[in-house]
Amino acid sequence: MYARVNHLGALTRAVRNVSRRKIRALLIIIALGFSMAIMISIPAGIVANQKATQDLTENLSNTISAMEEQINTTKTLIECSAASTQFNRTDNFPGFPPGSAPPFTFERQEVYINETIGDEIATIDGVKEVVPFIEVSSEETTSETMNSPRGSFKITRPLYTITGVCLNSTFIDDYSILPTNITGEPLREGDSGVILMSLNLSEYYGVGVGDKLEICGESFTVVGIYNSTVQGSTGARTVYMNIIDAQTVTDNIGNVSRFDVYAENATCVNDIATVIEAAYSELSVTTYEDRLATLENVQEGYQNTLENAESTLSQTQAVATQEILIAVAATSLIIFFVMLYTVRERTKEIGVLKAIGFSNWNVMSQFMLEGTLISLMAGVVGIVIGSIGAPILSSYLLPHISLFGGSQGRFQSDFGSVNPGIASAAVATNVLDPQIILLAFGVAVLLGALGSLYPAWRAARTSPMEALRYE
Amino acid sequence: MSELVLETEKLDKVYKLGGRQVRALSDVNLQVKKGEFISIMGPSGCGKTTLLNMLGCLDKPTYGKVVLDGVNITKVPEKGLFKIRKYKVGFVFQTFNLMPYLNAIENVELPMEGTKKSGDEKRKKARELLKMVGLSEREEHRPHRLSAGEQQRVAIARALANNPTIVLADEPTGNLDSKTGYEIIKLLGKLNIEQGTTIVMVTHDSHKAAHAGRMLFLSDGRLLAKEKQGTHLLKKELICPYCGREIQPDDTFCPRCGKKL
Repeated sequence: MYARVNHLGALTRAVRNVSRRKIRALLIIIALGFSMAIMISIPAGIVANQKATQDLTENLSNTISAMEEQINTTKTLIECSAASTQFNRTDNFPGFPPGSAPPFTFERQEVYINETIGDEIATIDGVKEVVPFIEVSSEETTSETMNSPRGSFKITRPLYTITGVCLNSTFIDDYSILPTNITGEPLREGDSGVILMSLNLSEYYGVGVGDKLEICGESFTVVGIYNSTVQGSTGARTVYMNIIDAQTVTDNIGNVSRFDVYAENATCVNDIATVIEAAYSELSVTTYEDRLATLENVQEGYQNTLENAESTLSQTQAVATQEILIAVAATSLIIFFVMLYTVRERTKEIGVLKAIGFSNWNVMSQFMLEGTLISLMAGVVGIVIGSIGAPILSSYLLPHISLFGGSQGRFQSDFGSVNPGIASAAVATNVLDPQIILLAFGVAVLLGALGSLYPAWRAARTSPMEALRYE
Repeated sequence: MSELVLETEKLDKVYKLGGRQVRALSDVNLQVKKGEFISIMGPSGCGKTTLLNMLGCLDKPTYGKVVLDGVNITKVPEKGLFKIRKYKVGFVFQTFNLMPYLNAIENVELPMEGTKKSGDEKRKKARELLKMVGLSEREEHRPHRLSAGEQQRVAIARALANNPTIVLADEPTGNLDSKTGYEIIKLLGKLNIEQGTTIVMVTHDSHKAAHAGRMLFLSDGRLLAKEKQGTHLLKKELICPYCGREIQPDDTFCPRCGKKL
């Protein structure tokens, strides 16, 4: 540990002095290191939270835009779905007590309707086209761990959704029933035994185009993979297949989940909706106006979420400032007392140094250098501890940012696919920024110098004669 | 007449101890010529170390003055004293006071810190000094791996690092056994003869004091008028102080009378 150098310098002496009592130095450095780690982790946590909030804002804004676009391009669309197809949550989310988030599960209560209803709807005046869909949740479930600054919690939900679409060339070409952005081949009219799957699901199973995948006990060939990922989102995991295949493998022959009913023009939408609602009470009917109203609700919910996140973020920053100040004070005090003790312990040495011609400045700089060296080493230890433990430290030290508060209804919206995106925006990944590391080193040097300033000054002022007498 | 390198005039030192005044030194007038080897003898508590501290700029007198190498050091402000301690005075302590975290050669280099010498020059000088005190082979050893005598030799080499005007030795043999003590006194004598180093040594040991050139006596803070000549001057002239016959510089015992020199 001793520095081997040809010429003796103040730094060499400082290194040797610090390493003279290795155990003591190590303990001090570790203690200071923890203090430094707090100083490093908290800004990292804040930055991560700021980024999470920023991502959330962007994601919500993108989602709203996408919804608006979708709503505006489908003014003639009347959605008719089995009334009670919705998510039920079994948890106390979002108001769970901080730090005690239990796992919770989404269960889709799936209710189906007879596909012949579609034929009946098609006969209503003004109806241009009726497009049937069947959506069935996989039996396989997945548990996802979501990180929040307060800790992580688990969500269990179906692994994927089987969407059966009517592979009719008119539907495919004119009604966008299939996703775009496909690698491989899209589904074509009359296809059977083949699937189009989302990228995230193909990654999950490790299958590519041309591979086989077993769904509900039946083997299907993957013909195409579409990218379901939107910014900040993992997207929905979905498998598209021929509606007949879907009905067969899920044991739902003759059943569908919903119909997309297209009116000849926007003016007759309300009339058609009224007729359908009157005739089929088992259907939940949604028109352009309903979707606009939902959008407004969603926007309001998102606004609440953002306000909540921003308010918590500002509280977090206030707490963080206090904690950083405490850590700074603790670090300075540790260095101060350690150096004060060191000066006292080495009084005689100071006397000798002064007797052999060391100036006050020489003595002072010697002790300040030692203090700075200790804090620099502590800075390194702090960065190591901070790198490993920043997420844990900041999760304990910073208040929980509830990104979901005040928007419970969101999960019940029809736009289920946006939810994972919002959830992932809350994942605060505490990665130490090089700037924070540099800043930490700067703070370490400053605190080392400041903390040892008074002890070093006392050492410099020590009378050599009295110091030499000191035992 | 040789040039005076150190002179004190009516030196007084009064300490305040618990409200009462203690006179540690009283009217001390001392003259040390260049190249002298003086021992100041006296019992414990007579003020020897106090006097040495005044001479070495470690303490200020209450009254009187100390002129070192033509400079009245009692007038030099505190901030300037370190230069005098660095360049004009070399200290040798009873307890050696080497830095435990530095090896022998680094301890010798220590006073050269902050001088204009380059690193190589410092190392070269330290090496020469260690050779002079007979420790060439031990320069990489830390104090705890050196014997007491060797540590004191390193301390003497350190005292000579900046070619001081005067070496002040405070009981340099106090922590050594008799044999090693004599070796240290002999080394100081050798340095005085060969290098012309001016040495002021305080001791309470009359036998060791007798090896200096001039013996002064301090009693209750006063320098006594009586002075004695030590054996050193005759040895300097290569004459056995006991039988008066000729001796050689390296003789440990007189070849004629057999007495220890």
